[in-house]
Amino acid sequence: MSIPDIFRRRKREQDLDDELRSHLAMAIRDRVERGEPPREAEYAARKELGNFVLIGEATREAWGWQWLEDALRDARHAWRTMGRSPGVTLAAVSSLALGIGANTAIFSLLYTVMLRSLPVARPEELVELLQKYPGEPRGNGYWSQRSLEHYREHNHVFSALTGTAIDNAVRLEVEGEEAQTAVGEYVVEDYFPVLGLRPGLGRLLGPGDQPDSAVAVISWALWNSRFRRDAGVVGKTLTAAGRRMTIVGVAPKAYTGLRVNTQTDLWMPVRPKAGLALLARLKPGVTIEQARAEMALLFRFTIEERAEGSKDSQIRHLRVELEPAAAGFSGVRDRAGSVLVLLMWTVAVLLALACINVAGLLLARGAARTREMALRMGLGASRWRLLRQMLTESLVLSLMGTTAGAAVAYGGTALLLRIMDSGREHEQLHLEVRPDGTLLLFCAGVALCSALLCGLAPAAATLRAAPASPLRQSGRATGTLRRWFGHGLVSAQVALSIVLLSAGVLFLSHVWSLKTAHLGFRRDHVLLAAVDSSRSGLSGERLAALYRGMLERLETTPGVRSAALGGPTPLQGAGASGLAVVEGFAERAEDRRWTQIAYVSPRYFATLDIPLLAGRDFAFGDVGMNPRPAIVSRAFARHYFGNRDAVGKRVMLENVTLTRTPATYEIIGVVGDANYYEIREPQSRIVYLPAFRSTGVVAGAFLVRTAAAPQDLMGEVRRMVKESSYALEVRRMITLSDQIDASIVLERMMGTLAGFFAALGALLAGIGVFGLLAYGVSRRMGEIGIRMALGATRGVIVRMVMRESLAVVAAGIALGVPLVIWGRRIAGSLLKDMSVNAGELLAWGVAAIVAVAAVAAYAPARRAASVDPMQSLRHE
Amino acid sequence: MGNSKKIDLLQGTLDLLILQTLRWGPQHGYGIAQAIRSGSDEVLQVETGSLYPALHRMEKQGWIRSEWGTSEYNQRAKFYQLSAAGRKQLSSEQDRWTRMSAAIEGLLNAGKSEA
Repeated sequence: MSIPDIFRRRKREQDLDDELRSHLAMAIRDRVERGEPPREAEYAARKELGNFVLIGEATREAWGWQWLEDALRDARHAWRTMGRSPGVTLAAVSSLALGIGANTAIFSLLYTVMLRSLPVARPEELVELLQKYPGEPRGNGYWSQRSLEHYREHNHVFSALTGTAIDNAVRLEVEGEEAQTAVGEYVVEDYFPVLGLRPGLGRLLGPGDQPDSAVAVISWALWNSRFRRDAGVVGKTLTAAGRRMTIVGVAPKAYTGLRVNTQTDLWMPVRPKAGLALLARLKPGVTIEQARAEMALLFRFTIEERAEGSKDSQIRHLRVELEPAAAGFSGVRDRAGSVLVLLMWTVAVLLALACINVAGLLLARGAARTREMALRMGLGASRWRLLRQMLTESLVLSLMGTTAGAAVAYGGTALLLRIMDSGREHEQLHLEVRPDGTLLLFCAGVALCSALLCGLAPAAATLRAAPASPLRQSGRATGTLRRWFGHGLVSAQVALSIVLLSAGVLFLSHVWSLKTAHLGFRRDHVLLAAVDSSRSGLSGERLAALYRGMLERLETTPGVRSAALGGPTPLQGAGASGLAVVEGFAERAEDRRWTQIAYVSPRYFATLDIPLLAGRDFAFGDVGMNPRPAIVSRAFARHYFGNRDAVGKRVMLENVTLTRTPATYEIIGVVGDANYYEIREPQSRIVYLPAFRSTGVVAGAFLVRTAAAPQDLMGEVRRMVKESSYALEVRRMITLSDQIDASIVLERMMGTLAGFFAALGALLAGIGVFGLLAYGVSRRMGEIGIRMALGATRGVIVRMVMRESLAVVAAGIALGVPLVIWGRRIAGSLLKDMSVNAGELLAWGVAAIVAVAAVAAYAPARRAASVDPMQSLRHE
Repeated sequence: MGNSKKIDLLQGTLDLLILQTLRWGPQHGYGIAQAIRSGSDEVLQVETGSLYPALHRMEKQGWIRSEWGTSEYNQRAKFYQLSAAGRKQLSSEQDRWTRMSAAIEGLLNAGKSEA
């Protein structure tokens, strides 16, 4: 309703009033003229005219505004009513705000990761091609360009097939700007046409661009940030990965690449022989199953191709997988999806709890207003009118909750995004969450449902109780029905908060077990400094000598216990691997497993506190040794040598990452097992190879065990690196425990949130129990007074009050048990390795809720026990 | 009052009567009520509670227009008058009424002859 409308309406009201008054005046005058005495004339005329107010109301209805008028009046009334009990209102609004806010925040993440379609033509036709070893959780998408061509020629199910190679760390230089690391895609020539994209500026890459030609399309974001929306950007140059390229166009604003978790900055023509991620478009009418069946046959080509140049016996077990790619490549869905789904369940429970809480609060208030309602019905208000008013109240309440919830969602989403983006480099989830129509609809839907849920039940209960009876009885009258309803609500709260509490216990203990698990090395007091030597011009022996000097300097730095060089560092995530061949150890081809490889300097094991079980550590003097030395983990030694001594034996490593020829090593030592690559998986077989070798050095991270807090040495180490050579850059400096935390970001996020929600749930249930008991006590003041006057002790009274809460809590627990068991099953199906079973969860949840209920019952029980019989009876 | 001959208006006929009254020229609400009463020899009674909602509704529908003027008693009053649409409405309501009353009469007469 706009301001002019309101004024117009005022005038209309005045008009109507004038009209009726002139009617009355004329009627009186008529009667007087006919000879009636003035006073009787006025009386008769008024009687004839009828109820002024009613006529006004009926006429206003003819204007067609009545509903709005009523709604506004109801809203104003609701506002005033809520203002009278600010505590209740605050509790209701804040619990709704948290419920709605948390749901919206999690859903917006879930939507971005799992559901949002790529802004391309007909995204539902897109599928991603993956290769997968049996038993592997997720496939990878590295295909040769020959495979791409083979499939293009031979398939009958795809209308198009294209590919891209994504590089997360392209060094990008733009004239006049500082160099940055950018995300680049090297794309097959029909990439943009297949996606059906149109340029934002200039042109996109197409069939005319030969592989490897020096042209690039930049993203809208890059155009905005680096080129400041320069309209003449087309034709300018930039340097990407050391190559000068001409910018031919800007991608459309909405398109940021095929992965949800990174935003591509520039697209370049594919490089010859580069591995590709493949994306296909299904022909209209072809289902993904049909495409799977055909690809299973065509896939032989890739197997043969890969088997040709490889001794990897596993290759023949590879399978092809097709995944829908309407929402982009699946990697991030696999990784974050189940966590987000679990969180979504958790916050849904939280919202249900918040709604019940609000319903409980409204019900209690409704109880206090039974007399008012009865009075109004007695005066002729219709049930519908009263129902509407009560619904308006809950609508206003949920509107306030939604508004506050939107703020919570906004802050919460930002916080979650920051947490998710703090993971390991190659796993970072840099999401772009955009507010969009679906999200707003979701939020509004949640608010509306909560209003109905919160409002209908108490309103119905109040109205059912409202007929004349309450007027006859004194203020304490309430129907049994309402009492049962109130008890039911609190029981439901108890049940739901048990679910939240056990979810909190489950996820927190999951994180706790990850954080405290013995990883085979000591995670505290270790500082990692990854050094980039690529632009120093140093290599080979000169670099090795420089690093050795730096290690010596570090070891003599005060506060440093020991220092070593290694790569990859523990739980960095990425690393090398190879297949081991041990003489005299026959292994079936399908039993062979990849062995993980780390390159380490002497004193590495001492620095990480990995125990040396047999043999000796590497030494700087080993450089000339032939065969080269290796140290293996206990699991490796056990697997290949059983109980025999591994030291002195030889092992050949083949198919080692980034090397072509197999090499033989002599085992000089055995060290303890460690979760070197992955914290969630069992400790695997590891071979440690020397970082320093005759040709130079093959690791770039310094590890420092410190006496004091490792953060305190960050400045010192940085200075030392700079002083050693100005051409070296510290690429990354982090404590080992932070690096480990970064590898479990999603679990930590889930644990923290679930813990928070559990506390919130317990609080809401506590408020519920408290409210119910406090209400019960105030209702039974008289009864308690009589009991005490008749000689009941305080203990008896306290027990009486406690018993009431006990029944409600017991019912809640009975309700909660199946919910927890069911929820545990869902959690178990989504996340593996959860250590706590449903029984333990229930024990924790029940113990917690009983404690909460006891605390909540304390104040009402005390109040009941301190009733003065005389006073309470007089009060009656 | 207490006149037992008075009849409350049938639903839907009020519009017709108002339009019919306004045929003779602009009139205010009180005047319309009086005209219906006296025109029906005091048989038809218009409740004020029905009259004004009806007037405002018909104004909204565009059948009548209103404007403030001075009554025969030299008093400010709101006068209603027919619009072109109202004239059309009047004739269609009249038709409807004629058909309906004929039909009812036919029914009643049939009942009489059988009795």
